[in-house]
Order: sequence, then C-alpha cells, then structure tokens
Amino acid sequence: MKIIATYNIKGGVGKTSTAVNLAYIAAENGYKTLVWDLDPQGASSYYFRVKPKIKGGSKKLIAGDRGLDGLIKATDFENLDLLPADFSFRNLDLVLDARKKPTQRLKKLLAPLAKEYDFIFLDCPPNISLLSESVFEASDILLSPIIPTTLSLRTLEQLKKYIKDSKLKHIQLIPFFSMADKRKKMHREIIESLAESHPDILETVIPYASDIERMGWERMPLGGYIKRGRSHDAYQALWQEIIRRTL
Amino acid sequence: MTAIPLHFELPENLTATKFLKKLAKKIEVEITSQQYTIKSFYDSFDWRLYGADIVCEFNHSRITSQLNLINRKTGELIAQEKMQDIPAFSKDFPKGRLKTLLEQKLEMRALLPICQLPYEAYCINILNKDRKIVLRLQIDEHEFLTNTINLLPLKGYEKATKSISYLMKNIFCLKPIDSTVINSALKQQKRKAKDYSSKLTIKLKPEMPADEASIVIYRHLLQAMKVNEAGTIADTDSEFLHDFRVAVRRTRSGFSQIKNTLPAEVISQHADFFAWLGQITGLTRDMDVYLLSYKNYQQALPLSLREDIAPLQAFLKQKQQAAQKELAKKLKSPEYIKQLMAWEHYLNQPLPKKSKESNAKMSIKALADQRIWKVYIRLLKEANAISESTPAEALHDLRKTCKKLRYLMEFFQNLYPADEIKSLLKALKGFQTVLGDFQDYEVQELKIKQFSEEMMDNKTPSNTLLAMGVLVQYLDSMRCAARKDFAKQFALFKQAENKAVFKKLFAHKA
Ligand SMILES: Nc1ncnc2c1ncn2[C@@H]1O[C@H](COP(=O)(O)OP(=O)(O)OP(=O)(O)O)[C@@H](O)[C@H]1O
Ligand SMILES: [Mg+2]
Repeated sequence: MKIIATYNIKGGVGKTSTAVNLAYIAAENGYKTLVWDLDPQGASSYYFRVKPKIKGGSKKLIAGDRGLDGLIKATDFENLDLLPADFSFRNLDLVLDARKKPTQRLKKLLAPLAKEYDFIFLDCPPNISLLSESVFEASDILLSPIIPTTLSLRTLEQLKKYIKDSKLKHIQLIPFFSMADKRKKMHREIIESLAESHPDILETVIPYASDIERMGWERMPLGGYIKRGRSHDAYQALWQEIIRRTL
Repeated sequence: MTAIPLHFELPENLTATKFLKKLAKKIEVEITSQQYTIKSFYDSFDWRLYGADIVCEFNHSRITSQLNLINRKTGELIAQEKMQDIPAFSKDFPKGRLKTLLEQKLEMRALLPICQLPYEAYCINILNKDRKIVLRLQIDEHEFLTNTINLLPLKGYEKATKSISYLMKNIFCLKPIDSTVINSALKQQKRKAKDYSSKLTIKLKPEMPADEASIVIYRHLLQAMKVNEAGTIADTDSEFLHDFRVAVRRTRSGFSQIKNTLPAEVISQHADFFAWLGQITGLTRDMDVYLLSYKNYQQALPLSLREDIAPLQAFLKQKQQAAQKELAKKLKSPEYIKQLMAWEHYLNQPLPKKSKESNAKMSIKALADQRIWKVYIRLLKEANAISESTPAEALHDLRKTCKKLRYLMEFFQNLYPADEIKSLLKALKGFQTVLGDFQDYEVQELKIKQFSEEMMDNKTPSNTLLAMGVLVQYLDSMRCAARKDFAKQFALFKQAENKAVFKKLFAHKA
C-alpha cells in the first residue's frame, strides 16, 4: 500500500482535483484505491456525491475504537472508495492535540487498511498544522501541485526546508505544475526555467482547462465524463510519471 | 444476524423488461446497459477453486470482459480483473490480487473452462437524491434457466441494500436463491461439481467377496487413467500425467498386494502392460518434477547466481517436451488402446461363481485386515533395522514398503472408521515424506550432475555450470538433512498411539 497526500501550504492550487482524478485513474487500472477527504470543506466528498458526514465526527474518528473501515463509502466507480469529510474536521487539530502522540495518529489509523487498498490518497486542507504533521508521518508520497508563479515557488522551498528540518526521511516530495496557463507569459517562462534548475519537478504539467473546472458541475472525476482530450491525457501522463518515479 | 438475501429468482413468465417496469413504479432506477453476455466458469480439473468455496467466472460481452472470483457461500466479490483472454496458468496472470489468490489455490494446475451460460445482462443503478449510486442490480435473463435478479451492495450503503432486499422479498414476493448459478449451469450439462478428485473413494462392503472387491478397485483405477489420459496426451498440466501414473502404480500395487483373488494367469497377462506404462511415463514425469522444482532451485542459490541458472530451465523444458511427445505418441498407439481395452473388457466380465484362487471368496474386510497388518509389521521390521550406518538402499526399499501400505489403506479406507484411518494415513504420509525427500534429493543430485555434463557440450555459460554446482551442493545438504531426520520421523510414526490404532483396526483377527 502506498499513501499519497496531495498537499500545499497554499489553498486553491488543485490539491483536491489532483487527488480525485489520480485516484480515479489508479482505480481504473485495477488498483484498490481510497480517497480520504480530510478537508472540512468536503470538496472531494462533493465530487463523489457522498454526504460530508461521518458518525461521531472527528473525535470518534481519531479515537479510532471502531476503525476506519465502517466509515468508508463505495463511490460510483469500481475499486474506488471514499472516506468522507465531516464538518467537525475543522477542529481536527484540537482533537489531535489532546492525544498522546498526535503526529503518529493518522499512520496508526491507516495501518489496518493496508490489506485492503493499494493506494490511499489523502486530500488535505491547506497550511501547516498538527494535521499536516500527522499527514506527513503517514504518507509515503507528498504530491504537491504548484501554480507557476514566483510566489508558489517560494512556498515550495519552504515546504522542502520544513521536510528537511523535521527529518521526514521516509517521505518523497513530488512537486508538479498545476493550473498552468499557456497564454500567460510568466507561466511559460517559469516552467521553462525551472525544468533545468529543479529536476525534482515532474515533467507533466496540468493545464488550466475548463474541462477540469467543470468537475464541480458534473460532480464526478474528470474520467467519469471525459474519455479523451488534453486534460484527460495530462492526468494520465501525471499518473504514469508518478508510478515511474516511485515504484 | 442472518444475512440479507441478495439473489432472487424471477417467476417464469416475468421478463426483465416487465419486471423493470414494475420496479420503476416503486423506486428511481437507471438502466445503464443491456448486454448479451457469456459467462464461462473456470476451475482446475480437480476443482481446487470450488473446493476452496471460490467460483471463478469470466463474463464476456461486446463491451467488456472481466474475470471475477466470488465467494461461493456469501456471493462476495473477492477479486476481479478486466481481461480479454484467460491464461492457462496462474503464473501468467498480470500481477495483482487475482494472481496471488489463483497461485495459492491452483499451484501447478491449469485453469480450464468448465461450462458456459449465455444470458442477457441488464445493469441497473439505484440512485439517491444526489444521484449517487447506492445499489447496483443485475438482472440475468437466461435462455434455459430461470431469470435471476442480483443485488450488488456498495460499501457504506447497507441501508439501501436492506430496503431493496426487503422490497424484492416481501413486496414483489421473489424467491431468494443461491448466490451462484454454477450448479444449475453444471446440471444443465449433466455434470456435477467436484466430479473428479485425485483422492480415492472406493465404496466397498465389508462382506463383499474379495474377487468382486478387487474388480471394483481396478475399475476405479482404470477410470482414473481414462479420465486423465486426454490431459496427459495434451500436456494440459503436469497433474494429469501424475494422476495417470498414480493410477497405474496403484493398479500394479494391487496386483502384488491383493493376491490370489483374481486368476493368476489374468493378472500376469496384464501385469506387463502396466509395467510398460510405468516405464514409458517415467521420463516425462521426472522432467515435470524438475521443472516444478525449478523455482526452489533458484531460491536455493545465492542472489548473484539466480539469473545464471536460467539455461537449466530451458534445457529441462526441451527435454520435457521431447519426452512428452514420445509419451503422447505411445498413448495414442493402437497397441496401448488394444491392451487397455482388453483390461477393461476383463473387468466388465461377470465373475465365475467358483474360483480356484485361495482368497477369491474370502470377505474383503478379512483380507484387508490381513494384508494391511502384514505389511505394517513388515514396515516396522524394516525400519527398526535401519541405523545411522545403514546404506541408502535399505531406506529406498522401506519407501516402497510404505507405498504398498499406503495404497492398501487407501483402497480399503471406507471399510474402517473414517477418523481413525485418516489419522493413520496422515502419520504414514509424514513418515513417507522424509523417505521420499531422502531418495528424491539423491536422484536429483545425480541428475543435475548428469545434466551439467550434457549441457557442457552445448556452449553453456560457465556461470550456469557454477550455479548448478552450487545446486548440487544444496541438494546434497538437503539429502543429509532428510537422512538425519529419519530417526525422528520413524519414532513419530511408530509411537504407541498409532500402534494401538493399527492394532485395533487391523490385527484383531490375525
Ligand atoms: N487545472 C485546472 N484548470 C482549471 N480549473 C482548475 C484546475 N484545477 C483546479 N481547478 C479549479 O480550481 C478550484 C480549486 O481547485 P482544487 O479544489 O482542486 O484546489 P485545492 O488546492 O484542493 O483547494 P483548497 O485549498 O480550497 O482545498 C476548483 O474550483 C477547481 O475546479
Ligand atoms: Mg481541496
């Protein structure tokens, strides 16, 4: 089992779209896949038409007495399940903080699912918090979408430094460009210049596309309503590149 | 908690379309597809999947083909994979859940199509108010069987499953049925699941005259040969030949161990044929065994040599194929067919009322007691005479005696209380393993040496020969370990509890 967190300190960079669409592709390729919606906003739950509600809320969840299995919902797609968000996740930090080893908590909760799933995607809310620390401990891969602007690059450097300082050696940070707009000169230039200086950034670029924006209207992953085209191919290529890098 | 029924039968005159109309009046349904589908059931020849409560079905339609493994008892989907063709062997499946499961259950056995069932499949989604699927339904409209409706529950939506199941049972008054139609499909083709097993189950009555019982046993063994013949000739998998050989060996063992029941001249007339069968099948079986052991051979090598051994596999395959070809030719020869038919003809003849054979009219139970006890005592005597310095020959002879005892006990198994004879057979099997290992490692050691000499002539890389050298050393160490283990295994076998059961079952009349 591999745990992949889509993470960025910044909001609105494509974390949820990435988690949902890559999970869809993994499942389509025969891998048993789970998306865990950790964001109280419940965006990924929304995309799968699942109510953002779990019995007992964050307290019961983090206590972990009943395990996660009973909270999981099958999506409309084969091999693809969802652990929905809950509004109470907005105080997840507090709930975690009340426990003994808060940063180990998520990892512990996820361990029993190893038998069942090949990939687990953690869709995280933005910013660095106790929850994100817990996510870092649990994840094998930190997939970080970055919008090609100078500011986003600074946040990437911050994240790298944070991982280094926190001695999170088990984690593989994989950044890639998201919502890249070809018409914008700055986007093009940044992508070009960074290809050389930052070989760790994936070659695949997810373009800014109305197809992708439409997910909110369709309420399903891109692959559920589009079987070909630029956006579709970009996510496929992204998945292939990640697989090549990590397996 | 009783399980919620998920599978129902539609009444005879109710088509899928009519039923869907009725259903749509009650709940919101979305028909996603209607496809002519062919369901093919797969299993090994000896029903290993069915025996493990797994049904393997391949659903093939114009738009999709998928292999499913389903729990036969609960209907739960254990593994699935989209694929176009079904490989014969689990090792050739794409990596994943399905492969892992199949490898565990099937081992060396081929996955074969068992029977087919064409049907019209209607796939239906049941949606909630967010238009999220909460349950899937499938209606199968069969040509020859009654139509069925199947609920395919989704994790986390148990409530929906429960209420639709209730609707089917109590509002539409449908009859719940088994999760799989495999048994109905088999019945239609006049077959039954588990209609072949390599285990002997011969039904004998204790008071049956021994000559009559012998005929029953030989018929059984002949049947096993006939059933495995086609697979042996086609080399479908290595177990066909194995089971064929076992039937031959058992027959020969019968000739020598159930003596003086059938006329001596008849036995001697057919004994040569069975000896010949043993001989012509030997080489192919040996090669099969080496090929089956190949993975172990590889594992026994240090990592740096594991790739280098590959030419040995190619060499073995080539030899196996040559031997197999020869064997197939012989099993298709008029001579073989003639002899086999003669034996069958004899077994179908009525027995004479009187016989000059001394054991012919003895009750089979009495004869079985006598024979098993005698061979058991002989086995103990031979084994007791073995010390650490006894030459290998004596252990090989002892192995033969064990086999004789084993076959006798298997022939007559159902004349004795099942749990007691089973426990003795198990103990004997354990003891046989150490003797088998001892001899097999010795033979393999010699053979690998011999192969390396043969391979030396065809420009085999030196590292391959080196790897084979290491392998010989490994086999030698395993042989020594088996030899050392002998005393312990024999002690286990001859322990008082076993002896008491042997005595109780077989010795009271002697
Ligand atoms: N490649 C893209 N092209 C166009 N629109 C996109 C693209 N990726 C995401 N969006 C849109 O941008 C918005 C934010 O995307 P998304 O929710 O995936 O980001 P996020 O990082 O998860 O946001 P948050 O931090 O709020 O969780 C959404 O409305 C989404 O539809
Ligand atoms: Mg998000």
